[in-house]
Amino acid sequence: MSVFVDTDTRIVVQGATGKEGSFWTNHMIEMGASVVAGVTPGKEGQRVHGVPVYHTVARALERHRADAAMLFVPPRFTKEAVFEALDGGIKTIVTIADGIPLHDQVEIRAAARGKGARVVGGNTSGVISPGRSMMGIFPYWIERVYKPGRIGVMTRSGSLTNEVTSMVVRAGFGVSSLIGVGGDPVPGTRFAEMLPDYEADPGTDAVVVIGELGGTMEEECAQAITSGVYTKPLVAFIGGRTAPKGKRMGHAGAIVTGGTGSVEEKVRALEAAGASVADRPSQVGTLLAAALEEHRRG
Amino acid sequence: MKLFEYQAKRVFTEAGITVPRSTLVETSGPARAAVTAAVADAVTAYNDAAVIKAQVLMGGRGKRGLVRKATAADAAETTEAILDADVPVPSLLVEELVAAERELYLAITIDAPGSKALVLASAEGGIDIEELAATRPEAIVRFPVDLRRGLLGYEARSIAYQMGLEGRDAKGVASVLISLWRVFRERDAELVEINPLFVTADGVVAGDGKVSIDDNSLFRQPGYAPTRDHFESDAEFEAAREGIPYLQFDGDISLMCAGAGLTTTVFDLVHYEGGTVANYLEFGGPNYRRAKRAMELCLRNESAVILIVTFGTIARADVMAEGVVEAIRELKPDRPIVTCIRGTNEEGAVETLKAAGIEPLFDTEEAVRRAVAIAAERGGAAGLSGGAS
Repeated sequence: MSVFVDTDTRIVVQGATGKEGSFWTNHMIEMGASVVAGVTPGKEGQRVHGVPVYHTVARALERHRADAAMLFVPPRFTKEAVFEALDGGIKTIVTIADGIPLHDQVEIRAAARGKGARVVGGNTSGVISPGRSMMGIFPYWIERVYKPGRIGVMTRSGSLTNEVTSMVVRAGFGVSSLIGVGGDPVPGTRFAEMLPDYEADPGTDAVVVIGELGGTMEEECAQAITSGVYTKPLVAFIGGRTAPKGKRMGHAGAIVTGGTGSVEEKVRALEAAGASVADRPSQVGTLLAAALEEHRRG
Repeated sequence: MKLFEYQAKRVFTEAGITVPRSTLVETSGPARAAVTAAVADAVTAYNDAAVIKAQVLMGGRGKRGLVRKATAADAAETTEAILDADVPVPSLLVEELVAAERELYLAITIDAPGSKALVLASAEGGIDIEELAATRPEAIVRFPVDLRRGLLGYEARSIAYQMGLEGRDAKGVASVLISLWRVFRERDAELVEINPLFVTADGVVAGDGKVSIDDNSLFRQPGYAPTRDHFESDAEFEAAREGIPYLQFDGDISLMCAGAGLTTTVFDLVHYEGGTVANYLEFGGPNYRRAKRAMELCLRNESAVILIVTFGTIARADVMAEGVVEAIRELKPDRPIVTCIRGTNEEGAVETLKAAGIEPLFDTEEAVRRAVAIAAERGGAAGLSGGAS
């Protein structure tokens, strides 16, 4: 079992013929993903690593059944590409685009919610269930990060994911499903919206949340714990404790404004809900082991 | 990208929102005497009752003495006082004084969880809205708006009535709200704000203006590009023009890291270990082949050490290590460099660094401790030549 994407998830790749799209489509297939079709306007009839390419999503769906769409589409065209997938009835979409206009981000999330669909991204590496399937751009061959196992990981940052997940693996654990919700101010899917999936997944024993300053996604996780939506152990690491107010720390979403988004608030909310929060990435493994032990004892 | 008040008010005027009559006086080019003379002329033109406002992007201008009332008699003196403030003031906006019956607050921003825009409105304008939100949230009307549907006329009127307005005032505020919505959408704004919005006998007038354009949308906002005046330092401006995320601080350790989240975490770890940061620089993502440019920017600081930490995916470790070695060869840095370069093809990175006589570290926290120790050993910025310029 895994969350979001599994070996039997049939994937359409939009933007499959570009350099990046083609390179990572190949890796998705090698890792075990079922890529059934590619879409690039004007390129119908071509094949990418054996996958047939169509002009439009609709034309691909005439010939293939698909459950998910992976987008390798530049940020300024991402909104249209997401709408095209949604109009085709696809409910699971991942976009890695970095630089999607803010109002487009809002429209993408609103449209997905309106159709009961889930868009992950942008500004992310995507979703991976190591050893099973992936939608995105992960160096799954780095074994000290992408080792299969029973810990779910949710993250706002690619580079920090490698850092923190390597600590999870060093402590003897592995990863069930890793979801990069992305570093944008309006991610298509928010942390807390994935927690019910991890709760239901028999392959996940606990979840590590890699957060950062800005927004309220970490506080929403605390709420999910308090309300009982999520009952497994949760360990968080949150970057930006010492970031000065009003400075944007790299990601567009990583900024303290209007009285919200400070790391202290997030830590307070999570700890009050019973989650563990690591001060440093190196503490995540130990906290995870302790939380699992406590959970086992009940 | 934040617009200066005078730019925001131009946008408002185009959208049909009334703003006070005003004159913009540039301060960086002309001599001080010419500036004060131009300000005095403008004050006189506004019937000897005006307000002089420094065009800077920081909040709290009033408290900092960057917004002052003036008459023709004291215009020169007041101008001097503003220009002598501790911050660079690229221009002054001289505005006629508005006789306000009351002051209101209007803003539109984004509600990320709700995936909507959010109108914020209050009958108590001219205040610190964050403070009001914290102390008396009931004084703020919150109205979510679907982006595709837009803000409708009856909704704008309903917001005005909820603010406790009636008659002429309600009608005027509703009309401003519709115009403000157009600005928000057409300018791809992350925030538009009027605080205060003056209610006068002749209608409503925007006393101040904030428009912040989403950086990701600048490609479709012709006419708006960040200038030197949008940044606090030359290095921040140059880095931004080249698409390299960079923040200036005045500590000892130059961060040259890859990935926003990792760089922010290294920033924290440096502080936990008792160190200080000279600059935040991120050369991951599309910039991972630009080690030399990144190092050049770091070397501009009077930092004691450069700390390189990466754990890249597409940003290949071997390519970054080669870039770093080449940058060291060409730039001959005058300070130690600590490297912790990991991720895709890290074996190649290790070989490259070792061949160049650089010790490759693998643990982020160890690398941070090493850099903090070096900075302490070298006496910190105090022992060098006086911190960053």
